[in-house]
Amino acid sequence: METPQHVHLLELGHRTVNPLVFWGVITTVLSVVLVLIINTAGVQSGIYLLFLVPVMAYLAIMGFFIAYVSKLNRERNRLLADQVRAETTKTGEFQKLNQELEAYAKQLFDKDFELTLANKRLQNLEQAKSKFVSVTTHQLRTPLSAIKWTFHMLLQGNLGPTTSEQHTFIEKGYESTQRMIAIINDLLNVDYMEIDHADYNFLPVDLPALIESVLFEFTNQAESKKITLKFNKPPSAPPPVLADPIKVSMVLENLIDNAIKYTPRTGQVTVSVSDARMNSARGDLEVVVSDNGIGIPPAERDKIFHRFFRGSNATKVQTDGTGLGLFISRDIVEKHGGAVWFESAVGQGTQFHFTLPLHRLSS
Amino acid sequence: MENDSNKKTILIVEDDEFLRSLTAKRLEKENYRIEVAVDGENAISTVESVKPDLILLDLLLPGKDGFEVLKKIRLTESTKGIPVIIFSNLGQKEDIEKAKALGVDDFLIKANFTLDDVVGKIKKLIVGQ
Repeated sequence: METPQHVHLLELGHRTVNPLVFWGVITTVLSVVLVLIINTAGVQSGIYLLFLVPVMAYLAIMGFFIAYVSKLNRERNRLLADQVRAETTKTGEFQKLNQELEAYAKQLFDKDFELTLANKRLQNLEQAKSKFVSVTTHQLRTPLSAIKWTFHMLLQGNLGPTTSEQHTFIEKGYESTQRMIAIINDLLNVDYMEIDHADYNFLPVDLPALIESVLFEFTNQAESKKITLKFNKPPSAPPPVLADPIKVSMVLENLIDNAIKYTPRTGQVTVSVSDARMNSARGDLEVVVSDNGIGIPPAERDKIFHRFFRGSNATKVQTDGTGLGLFISRDIVEKHGGAVWFESAVGQGTQFHFTLPLHRLSS
Repeated sequence: MENDSNKKTILIVEDDEFLRSLTAKRLEKENYRIEVAVDGENAISTVESVKPDLILLDLLLPGKDGFEVLKKIRLTESTKGIPVIIFSNLGQKEDIEKAKALGVDDFLIKANFTLDDVVGKIKKLIVGQ
């Protein structure tokens, strides 16, 4: 900022006076004093007039000049003062803006800090929840295993003979334990899915082989209901799918478990896999799990994939279930980029379909 | 040759007393010779001294856990070929993958299987039964 040129201003008391004005006043006073002296000295009036003319002219020119310069000076001072005032105002505004900016920055920092804290708290809470679920469920499974095995050994006659009435009660006990275990497993799966949804490990998977290994796990369950478990393998081995084998096993387990549960004794559950690229836009390989069980009532078909939903006719056949299996299954299939759908006729059976994409070499 | 020496030996590593006794009772019915261990250290020393034909291994054990026991078994020349079935109530993906990486033969979640199922799995893994 340019320094205003105050140097020409004289200070008189607390007033500033232009030096030219000052000088003009002094000159005029001196002239008047001179005239008075001459007059008093008694010089003749002619000489006095002749002497007065140049003095008056000098005074007039001086007066005009002094007034003009002083006006310019005043103007300049005014402009300078304006400039100074404007600069001061600007500086003030700038400082104010700067302060506001600093205040905003501080607020932003505080908010960011609060958010980070809140986020951390949420993460801790989420971790605590998962830990709680996982610990409780694992702790619950141990005593439940003991109860289940005991009931099962009693039922198998491994611990000596039981009367038929005792056998019926033990059977109820065994079924209740199974139900509780199923609930715990489903809760674990839901929790697992929620904390771990991003953690999919996609690999090339031989789908028919995976289906066979899952079906093998159900041999006992199917036999106990005299249900025929069939696998329709495709005539030639299909190319591998890109999937997380553990997650897809979960889907297969849910669908096959449902099919067996909701099919009466001596029924049939069939799993088939086919290349759907020719006739379906929904995916590459299509798996169908079909049963000739109780079917899904038409009014409930929209709700079947909802969390905790169970068909109104489900409890008549089998009380085991949480209504989480299909919810979990659909989530898994969709995270693979596939689709799940079904056809069902009450009293005749249900066919659940799902598709998975083929493993393609990345381009 | 004594009749008893033809019996296959199964080591049950389980810290819960009741589960251990139920498992032992069920497997004895299949005519197996049963050894038990209640913690990790105990399991490792028993494996080395007894050289069982199969190990049923829990994961949550006092002291050394089942993973450490499995690792030790697989790293020891004289025991590395022994079939090991993890039999635990842990069973999240990480646990299964960790056990697989350490060379486990099967992974069963206790609550999801009956002891009859376990017998079936054991028979598949012990040859010459």
